[in-house]
Amino acid sequence: MQISAKITLLLTPLLLAVAYTTFAERKIIGYMQIRIGPNRVGPRGFLQPIADALKLLTKEVIVPTNANRYLFLTAPVLAIAPSLAAWAVVPFDDGMAIADINAGLLYILALTSLGVYGIIVAGWASNSRYALLGSLRSAAQIISYEIAMGFALVGVIMAAGSLNLGEIVEAQRGSVYHWFLLPLLPLFLVYFISGVAETNRAPFDVAEGESEIVAGFHVEYSGMAFAVFFLAEYANMILISALTALLFLGGWLSPLEGLLPQAAFALPVIGWVLDGGIHWFLAKTAFFLFLFLWFRATFPRYRYDQIMRLGWKVLIPVTIVWLFLEGVAVAFGLGPWFA
Amino acid sequence: MTVEEILFYAMSTVLVGAAVAVITVRNPVHAALALVLAFFATAFHWVMLEAEFLGILLVLVYVGAVMVLFLFVVMMLDINVARMREGFARFLPVGLVVAVGMMGLMAMVVGAGVFRIPGPERAAADHSNTAALGHLLYTEYVYPFEIAAVILLVAIIAAIVLTLRRRPGTLHLDPGRQARVRRNERVRMVKMHSEKQ
Amino acid sequence: MLENYLPILVFMGIGLLMGILPLALGMVIGPRRPDAAKNSPYECGFEAFEDSRMKFDVRFYLIAILFIIFDLEIAFLFPWAVALDTIGLYGLLAMGLFLGILVIGFIYEWKKGALEWE
Repeated sequence: MQISAKITLLLTPLLLAVAYTTFAERKIIGYMQIRIGPNRVGPRGFLQPIADALKLLTKEVIVPTNANRYLFLTAPVLAIAPSLAAWAVVPFDDGMAIADINAGLLYILALTSLGVYGIIVAGWASNSRYALLGSLRSAAQIISYEIAMGFALVGVIMAAGSLNLGEIVEAQRGSVYHWFLLPLLPLFLVYFISGVAETNRAPFDVAEGESEIVAGFHVEYSGMAFAVFFLAEYANMILISALTALLFLGGWLSPLEGLLPQAAFALPVIGWVLDGGIHWFLAKTAFFLFLFLWFRATFPRYRYDQIMRLGWKVLIPVTIVWLFLEGVAVAFGLGPWFA
Repeated sequence: MTVEEILFYAMSTVLVGAAVAVITVRNPVHAALALVLAFFATAFHWVMLEAEFLGILLVLVYVGAVMVLFLFVVMMLDINVARMREGFARFLPVGLVVAVGMMGLMAMVVGAGVFRIPGPERAAADHSNTAALGHLLYTEYVYPFEIAAVILLVAIIAAIVLTLRRRPGTLHLDPGRQARVRRNERVRMVKMHSEKQ
Repeated sequence: MLENYLPILVFMGIGLLMGILPLALGMVIGPRRPDAAKNSPYECGFEAFEDSRMKFDVRFYLIAILFIIFDLEIAFLFPWAVALDTIGLYGLLAMGLFLGILVIGFIYEWKKGALEWE
């Protein structure tokens, strides 16, 4: 029963975080556009996500007449299940993961590759033009960026020598300079850009493309069925942010490690804050999550051919070249990183 | 029964059920999704046999990539199910002979001595079979590994030769050229004297 | 090793449940007042006049095929990257050759224009 306690402990904050990311998005983009965003429900609008959830709950779940009923209702489940299941191997602190498996990173890559099913099935089952176009675009986009993402992950594994997420973080121990951010800078950029594209977020959100194909693959969805897709998208965003923090920014490791004298970490309360821990991991994750929202407020949408070009002709060559360089660096034990 | 045995039989039931569904359901998309389920159950069995790398790889490659292509193809083709079933009675005898023959062969292979080896020892919790696999694959089996590269190269070339057709008359913009556009390629500044009335 | 996978199985089940539960709840709590216009596919006010499942550009298939090939390549790279410490220079050269052959394929794709989207 220890497992169920752990899972509750993970799932409750996660779902709350998902709900409040939607709120944060509206607020942050609001302020970026010199508006104040939602401010009516509760103090400063803080109850807005709960009001949204209640509203969606009481709305009709419309199933179109010529849709394939069962697959239409299965699609949202297929979208959300992998994005939640991937969290099972994410370590929040040293040893603080639900399942500490050796092939952790492989498991995550396998699960993120399943996210495409929800979109394809939704597009096909809806039997609607816009839904089908959106799901096709999105599926081709997701699989294209998955290659670049996979190559970037290979670079991380080469540097860490392990697929276990905890060990990957420990391999970055030392100081800020030991984080993979520095030696794998191109792979970091490729990984995060691919992550944004994988989650169908702006500026790569042609799957929704509200100005051309209305809402893309979920145009026919309403009420809770729509809400589940929405939750899946935000859960994926948080997952990508958390993974970027773990793989390139040293997860729970403190950026002050190796900079401050040892005595500083021995101080009663301040030492705990300065030392590595779950708070650093959450802060790093929040930073990347903020970038997701910032991108949406800043960048105009890419055209589809530009998206495919960026994925295949820029990101993949960059990763391949960097893998060759890294291979040589590992072979000759270069520097503080690959020694 | 232990938990493990219960899980084993449960997943085997799912596997057999999904496999039967693949060949019996009428809707090709349902069949493809049943195949996805079958792959999942198989991956589960592999993990139960402590082949974690291969189990997860099965999901990554077959479910995450191959079945996506299957779905692409099956979803968008207008397959007339009624016409597909026309030849059923005519080909049934041949099909039965092939099926029985296959089952006999499989029984012979599985019944042979190779499969009568004891199950592997339980590995320690920190045993990484990915590393063990990598260690063998790139040293002892390096020749088949390089052949795999050549086969993949052939696959790339074949896929392109077979499917790539250029459609004439499409309005195509090269994004690279667009991005490199400079102002003076598009706008010419002309100095003119203001006209007096 | 297996004991580490049990939580994952449980978590996958919960992941499915987190999808099914809200959906079921929404269908129970939400109203159900179907009518012909509401249940027809959305087409910006037009009547949907034919089945929306259509044939589309072969390019999408090509992308999916190329994706499979590159995915396999990644599958080969994963164990290699893990074992890199133990297999040394020999392993590095083996993978160099492997990637080299596939880069030829990638260049072929590029030059043939299979990556162009027109």
